[in-house]
Amino acid sequence: MDKIRAFIEDQFLVEFDESFPEGTNLFKEGVMDSFGYVQLCRFLEKEFAIAFTEAEMTGNVLVSLTQIRETVAQKVARRGEEPA
Amino acid sequence: MCGIAGLIDTALPSEALPDTILEMLGTIAHRGPDGLGYAVGDDWAMGTARLAVIDLESGTQPLGDPGGRFWLCYNGEIYNYRELRADLEAQGVVFRTHCDTEVVLAAWMTWGEQCLPRFNGGFAFALFDRRERRLVLARDRFGKRPLFYARHGNAFLFASEMKAFLAVPGFAFEQDPAQLASILGQWTPLPDQTGFRAIQALPMGEWLSFDRGGLERHTYARLAFPEGPAPAGEDEAKALIRRHLEASVALRLRSDVEVGVYLSGGIDSAIVALLARDIGGRPPATFSVAFDDAALDESAEQQVVAAHLGTRHDTLRVSHEDIAAACPDAVYHAEVPAFRSAFIPMFLLSRRTQECGIKVILSGEGADEAFLGYDLFKETLLRSRWDDIDDDTRSRRLARLYPHLGHYGPQDIAALTGLYQQFSQERMPGLFSHELKFQNGRFSARLIKGAGDPFAAISALVAGHGEMAAMSPVQRAQWLEYKTLLPGYLLSTQGDRAALAHGIENRCPFLDPAVVDLASTLNLRFDDGFEEKRLLRQAFAGRLPESIVNKRKFPYRAPDAAAFAETRPDYLELVQSESELAKLPFLDANFARRLTAKVLSRPAAEISTKENQTFLFLLSIALLHRQFVGRDGVAGHKAGRVHPPLVRMVDLRGAA
Repeated sequence: MDKIRAFIEDQFLVEFDESFPEGTNLFKEGVMDSFGYVQLCRFLEKEFAIAFTEAEMTGNVLVSLTQIRETVAQKVARRGEEPA
Repeated sequence: MCGIAGLIDTALPSEALPDTILEMLGTIAHRGPDGLGYAVGDDWAMGTARLAVIDLESGTQPLGDPGGRFWLCYNGEIYNYRELRADLEAQGVVFRTHCDTEVVLAAWMTWGEQCLPRFNGGFAFALFDRRERRLVLARDRFGKRPLFYARHGNAFLFASEMKAFLAVPGFAFEQDPAQLASILGQWTPLPDQTGFRAIQALPMGEWLSFDRGGLERHTYARLAFPEGPAPAGEDEAKALIRRHLEASVALRLRSDVEVGVYLSGGIDSAIVALLARDIGGRPPATFSVAFDDAALDESAEQQVVAAHLGTRHDTLRVSHEDIAAACPDAVYHAEVPAFRSAFIPMFLLSRRTQECGIKVILSGEGADEAFLGYDLFKETLLRSRWDDIDDDTRSRRLARLYPHLGHYGPQDIAALTGLYQQFSQERMPGLFSHELKFQNGRFSARLIKGAGDPFAAISALVAGHGEMAAMSPVQRAQWLEYKTLLPGYLLSTQGDRAALAHGIENRCPFLDPAVVDLASTLNLRFDDGFEEKRLLRQAFAGRLPESIVNKRKFPYRAPDAAAFAETRPDYLELVQSESELAKLPFLDANFARRLTAKVLSRPAAEISTKENQTFLFLLSIALLHRQFVGRDGVAGHKAGRVHPPLVRMVDLRGAA
């Protein structure tokens, strides 16, 4: 899961610390633009062999590192149960 | 077209004033290569570098009234000067010249500041009343012509370009981190911002007076979108568009020198060229930029328009190396940080136009603001109706936005929907339309360390204009474009500054007040707002090639900064080396280095638009620091200077 943090820090040139906690809303802070969000979704799907539903992409589940981690972890855990 | 400069209440000895004003004019002589003129008093001086366009012989400046009380230095053109002259003659004014400069002087003497709303043109002027010791500065309603001012001790300085202040003894430039953060946040200076501490721009539609009582600023033209009477139908609307644009182009063809046209390959400049040919009685000379990169190049469309109209067409092909070589000069002329490189080819095009012997050009600038040509307006409309439309319609419209951006399209529509979902509500009061864009600007503003809120200035600007409250979301978007990007970048960095760097006067028929007012009465009245400029296109269908009429908006762009900067180790040194970054202590050096490393090391497809833009901001801030704060611009300017002849000198020192 540190891969996600590393991707975000590298892709968006931010560093998570006390002043920029992992729960920060990446949209509201101007970190994630349309290009970055598309890159992030592509990265997560490829790296963890998962696919996001439209509801997941349009909901508030991918707005912070904390939420992204939780969502990806749940999807990875459910991966074997989902139809290919 | 001209450049003006001056200083009053200066402590400089009066014997130093002629040299000082000549030095100031010398720094902006590119704006007026046909002759310098100045007037000097005991503790004031003002002058003009003139580009002779109307009344070539007797239009020298500064122009005084017969009694010698008022002295005018004037930059620009009042296109309706003949009508105003007739009005003034009817009131008994006797004219000595045929120049519009004298009309401006007489209009002020007759009507005072009430003359300003009557002026249809692009202008900035300084008028000194010797009797009252009062200086007036004024600027046109859309901000086509620049005018900057500053205090220097007790002295008051003004000039068409800030670089004129480099010639004032003791005046020091200092970059202002808070202003820079704002400029980076909005991707453009706001109306009175310059990026330098203690220097202000006079905003569009304003005038100021400076006298012993101090400085007062006044607004004479507010931006509104009047709801005029609705035309009976589309045919009448199209006829009105044609009639208004014909009148506008006819006014802007008034010139005693040949008028050319810049062709972009799009519908707007094609309409201007068509009307210039029909009204002017012969095909105009046309000029275009072409790129090797097919994704940016519109030369095929330019050729189609030129061939259709039979113009004498000249194409300037611009390479990455050309852009790299011209970058410092173009930034020096722009004077403010730039977020796009597109102004550099325009800088080169004006040089080419000058070499071809043309002094005045028309362009299609302003059409996208007036007739809703930008995707931003469609995005605003879509977001404002986000919750009221079905998913399919939303997805279809989203996929049609920003066709030049590779990640906008059906394959990524779910992710884009997620992003827009985050911004479907207004969070910043009054800034709904530009919220997503400004959020992207937060990234650029991270270049500046501890500069505070980069949106404080834009919030204050919006809060100061209560008329926005009554506007629709799309009109608010228009208002912001008119107030920010249009004067702050398109008409200045990419317009006036790029053109006047080589003595080219640019005129914009779509920015005639009557055309703008007409467009505002038609917008969204016959359209759903998702087919840009449909009425405008249809108004000229049949008179221009179908491929041009039906072509989708193709934003004028130039190569990303990294594409040309990587060929210049000296530029990269500016934004990477510890010693150079140490000269810019207000920059976040760590962020600057990380950004530069990323932009230069990754394939272009992996770099986002905002990263490219921020990199150019960084490079231009460093270049401006070297040129203005470090004063390298003085040396460069003097090395290449060819002084225009001194054609007028009025010495009022010791005079009552």
